[in-house]
Amino acid sequence: MSTSTAAGRRTVEPFTVISVICVTVFGLLCLIPFWMIIAGSFTDESKLSVSGYSLFPDPFSLEAYRTIFTGPAVLSAYRASIFITVVGTALSLAATSGISWVIARRLPYISRPLAIFTYIPMLFTGGLVPMYLLVTQYLNLQNSLFAVILPLLVAPFLVFIQVSFFRQLPEEILESARVDGASELRIFFQIGLPLSKPILAVIALFYAVTYWNEWFHALLFISDTEKYPLQLLLQNLISSVTNAATLPQSTAQAAPVYQLRLALTAVTIGPILLAYPFAQRYFVKGLTLGATKG
Amino acid sequence: MRANSLVMESGSEPGTDDAVPPQRPADPPRTPAKRPRRRPPLGLVLLALPAIAFFVVFSYAPMAGLVVAFKDFSISDGVFGSPWSGLDNFRYFFSTGDAPRILANTLFLNTLFLGATLLTGITLAVMLNEIRVKLFKRAIQSVIFFPYFVSPIVISIILQVLLAGVGGSGGAANDLLHVFNLPQVEWYTQPGPWPWILTVVKIWQLGGYLSIIFLAAITAIPEEVYEAGMIDGASRTQMAFRITVPLLRPTAAVLLVLGIGRIFYGDFGTIYAIVGDNGTLFPTTDVIDTYVFRSLRQLGDFGSTAAVGLFQSVVGFVLVVLAVLVQRRYAKESSIL
Repeated sequence: MSTSTAAGRRTVEPFTVISVICVTVFGLLCLIPFWMIIAGSFTDESKLSVSGYSLFPDPFSLEAYRTIFTGPAVLSAYRASIFITVVGTALSLAATSGISWVIARRLPYISRPLAIFTYIPMLFTGGLVPMYLLVTQYLNLQNSLFAVILPLLVAPFLVFIQVSFFRQLPEEILESARVDGASELRIFFQIGLPLSKPILAVIALFYAVTYWNEWFHALLFISDTEKYPLQLLLQNLISSVTNAATLPQSTAQAAPVYQLRLALTAVTIGPILLAYPFAQRYFVKGLTLGATKG
Repeated sequence: MRANSLVMESGSEPGTDDAVPPQRPADPPRTPAKRPRRRPPLGLVLLALPAIAFFVVFSYAPMAGLVVAFKDFSISDGVFGSPWSGLDNFRYFFSTGDAPRILANTLFLNTLFLGATLLTGITLAVMLNEIRVKLFKRAIQSVIFFPYFVSPIVISIILQVLLAGVGGSGGAANDLLHVFNLPQVEWYTQPGPWPWILTVVKIWQLGGYLSIIFLAAITAIPEEVYEAGMIDGASRTQMAFRITVPLLRPTAAVLLVLGIGRIFYGDFGTIYAIVGDNGTLFPTTDVIDTYVFRSLRQLGDFGSTAAVGLFQSVVGFVLVVLAVLVQRRYAKESSIL
């Protein structure tokens, strides 16, 4: 193992070797399922319908992807998911940054009550039934993609992460702007936000992943199949394999159900997989915020 | 007026920090006690309005909507027009005979998940800390963190590939069993192993995520502690178990206490995505949230469903408050949250 060279002056202890092995095995166990999905999505249905999975795309086939990208269902689901993610993240970021800034400024009579106001929903929720009645009976948002976005608009936890970042901004800079006669709003938009790009990236990424993966509210409120986001489309394929046969029937011959499921899964995790190498350090930063300064 | 506001502020700041666990509790105020005059911050408050509106509509209004639990609800009469029915809805839930089972399942599964994921997180963090090759360490970290970003639906598909290849039998797990000459299992018809399968899923999903939190706590441990250990001739193994693990206890305690506070909330997303409406698995996997969801969807009984939800919220709330109270004792020592 390469550790022996890097450890250099220290001798390599058994515990280090065991650690490297265990961690590597755990890492492989995290990767293999994704490899099976991707390999399977390129494997011909004739093999999949016998074993149900495949480790190598042996009888190679693009059949499922052809079905996916020629049929209307997946493309419209993609459109719905992108809409939910983009619009949702933008709205969430704006709303979260706004309230976080006001809490972080420590305004008398305002900041503290607002913090408590934000904290209570973390402790106590109305639950499923009132939410369902609210959206369907009072807001009439059935079959609107906003029924998926709005219930998730502000995550209190992310508010508090952002507050602690805002509070670390050097007060002197804000103060000097104030002395120069800048209004509070202008300070927020022209000084606070530009100085906070790292935390904005963290918050936006957390929201984007949440929206992309959201299916529960879609399941509750969206029945119009044309507005199904990807996750819900996929969920429909889970309940029974036979359902898969009924989905995109664009081609004349029977659709490759097993391959199709895997291909649709690959398509669903695709954007996260592609964005992940770039975004990952921001997630780590967000998670460990405040932990390193102990 | 100005003096008054200053008093208010300095008095309120520690309180704010107490009420807000995710931020560092002992953050010293950045601003000096003497502050220049400030114009009325009304423009600033506008910034908070969208979020305030959100919380009022989507958090606080549903809390008021919980009165449905005490009503004989019908859609035509609406939430506030339906007649009161006292505790009938609660009585109904506890008389169906489902209550003990789903309560037991919820507590058992969540305890299992909590213990297993925390243990895995600590173990992975301590082991990752042993790895000195930066590039390798970072690569592994990225890989084990990734499952956290995958939706429950995708996890469910993965499980089907592993456990139920074609029509309920087959799949990678059974092929593996076949290699070792073990009998095949039709996983999706056997409720017995599912608490353990779900636990493995949770470990897979959260192990890397928690290890990153613990690893951050490890980097906060001062280097001198290890130097002292080295001078005393401690091996790396001893340092890991005698220094690192004990110093992770406060972080673990905070996460544990927060987890206990949430123990009454089933993990709806993962469990429903995996089990769905597969009734044969309910004896071991049905939790409060899945039960509530099913009775709402299939029976359309808003009143008794809300009663279950209210019961869950109240017990959950009591647990959270207890958890927060306990957490405060640990928060001072903890480096995170």
